[in-house]
Amino acid sequence: MSRLQKTLRKYALAASTAMSERIAYPGNFVGSMFTYALFVFIFSRVWAGAYAGATEIAGYTMSMAVWYFIIAEIPSFGFGRFFSTLSRDMKSGQIAYLLARPYDFIGYSMAEKLGGSLMEAGIILAEGLVVGLVLVGLPPAIASGYPAGSSSLALEAARSGFLVVSLLLAGALNFFLQIALAMTAFWLEENEAFFWIFQKFALVVGTLIPIEFLPEKVARIAVWTPFPYLSYAPARIMVAFSPAEALSLVARQALWVFMALLLARAVFASGSRRLSVNGG
Amino acid sequence: MTAITADRLGKTFTTRIRPTGRFSAARSLFRPELRCIEAVKGVSFEVEEGELVAFLGPNGAGKSTTIKMLMGILQPSEGTARVLGLDPTRDRVELSRYVGAVFGQKSQLWFHLPPSDSFRLLGAIYEIDEDDRKWREAELVERFGLAPYMDVPVRKLSLGERIRCELAASLLPSPLVLFLDEPTIGLDIVAKREIRQLLAEAARIDDTTIFLTSHDMGDIEKVCKRAIIIHHGEVVIDESMKALKHRALSLKHVGVRYALPVDLDLPGLSPVKRTTLAASYEVDTRKHSLAEVVRALASRGELEDITIEDEPLENVIASIYATKSGTEAQAFGSQRGETETRTGEVIHE
Repeated sequence: MSRLQKTLRKYALAASTAMSERIAYPGNFVGSMFTYALFVFIFSRVWAGAYAGATEIAGYTMSMAVWYFIIAEIPSFGFGRFFSTLSRDMKSGQIAYLLARPYDFIGYSMAEKLGGSLMEAGIILAEGLVVGLVLVGLPPAIASGYPAGSSSLALEAARSGFLVVSLLLAGALNFFLQIALAMTAFWLEENEAFFWIFQKFALVVGTLIPIEFLPEKVARIAVWTPFPYLSYAPARIMVAFSPAEALSLVARQALWVFMALLLARAVFASGSRRLSVNGG
Repeated sequence: MTAITADRLGKTFTTRIRPTGRFSAARSLFRPELRCIEAVKGVSFEVEEGELVAFLGPNGAGKSTTIKMLMGILQPSEGTARVLGLDPTRDRVELSRYVGAVFGQKSQLWFHLPPSDSFRLLGAIYEIDEDDRKWREAELVERFGLAPYMDVPVRKLSLGERIRCELAASLLPSPLVLFLDEPTIGLDIVAKREIRQLLAEAARIDDTTIFLTSHDMGDIEKVCKRAIIIHHGEVVIDESMKALKHRALSLKHVGVRYALPVDLDLPGLSPVKRTTLAASYEVDTRKHSLAEVVRALASRGELEDITIEDEPLENVIASIYATKSGTEAQAFGSQRGETETRTGEVIHE
């Protein structure tokens, strides 16, 4: 086995082991699934009220708005807990074990944490598709119909492909931003406030509502921040798919993932020199 | 060959002082009051390959901090360390290939999964060929008696069973140096004895250098050949276990029980405990001949029972821990050491 194969096996096995640990208790997913379904139901009612007497708001029909929320919430439920698990490892002193291993710390943590969360994100996605069908019917593009012929199938396949890629990039972006925030614990004893602010920005800019719903000036600034690429990008691909826009969104997501990776590496390089391990 | 070198190794942590008073919390946001804590102060020692070293000290003495600096997890504030010829801070990832660790209060096993899954992942992390990993795992399972636990989720194992698995997991990549930070904490007597045997065996079979911190004198006596005592961040004693035990030998506990009441006071020696028929004495053999004390006690009346015990090693170490500063502890150590060099023969009053 080559060195590269060994390295890849290390990270793949970390991801699959983390996934096995998560599914050891299938009951763990029940709480998330229930809360997610409840949120979607409540928001579908909110949108029903908002759309009373209106067929479209900022280019979105009610069906689009509901489907948007269904997809935009997936990163929050699937990839929203990296900060707390990483912070817990740092504060409990478990980081002593994690750092004393022959691997790239950021890469391994990503394999373990992001890999482990893929199952949960997949389950929430499947649930979302079912809940969406029950509440508002087929997703917008299918409902309105594609041009006849084989191109509709190709477009649908492209949309699914872009959606999966965009969700994975959202997961990676979430991971790198959250690990960078968690690693502020190298300097600060209490860093929860940073994550709280991060969560609120992520919620307002692209999760609860599409950024087209924001005031124009705010939306213009928001697109230059990483927040729309945490949830807006995959949700937009789902409800208003065009290959050109999807490619642009995914490319911008990839760029932000790269920048967040650099940020996480910089924080780790600087912070690990200041580490003080708790708990003996 | 030298496995570990610590040369004037020191670590200072800066912590924020929690403010008191009405506006001081807000003021501290802008002008925080900081306090420097010297956890380790210029510690120096060398450990040879294959040595079994106990690294002792009271809580907060700097033991764990030193271990973490030697593993490259913490960066020293001063001094240097070399482990297997590598600089732990600069070569942390490279060093981790050859160094294992067991932190008694932490776990490296996946809690909801059986240990076999953690072993498989550790094999991949250390890039051990699958066949080699299986062979090594089978050997460790046999040696540590882990067969009944390998497929049971870790959460269902007792603490003793888990620590055995943790120890075996640390030995999976055949580390050249094994750091153990209180590996028997919380274990019952039987489990402790098992772990000590396994540790001593690991050192013998794999020729692993063992660097062990523990508060349990049994761990230290049964496993280690040398003791380094650290106190207030400084090394106060660094000598063989034999020499350390010798410190304890100058004080004997003598217990007697008579058939009839007798005068229990000896010239210059009073019992530390007494009843009508029995008494116990602490005999400092530097002041009193043990043989004479025994003869004197036997001449007092008809003895029903007599016991002579060494002072527990624990008491010697506790008395070192009880000193207020590192310098005081050093003085205590050398003072006791000096008297021992003079003894060997009994000093009469």
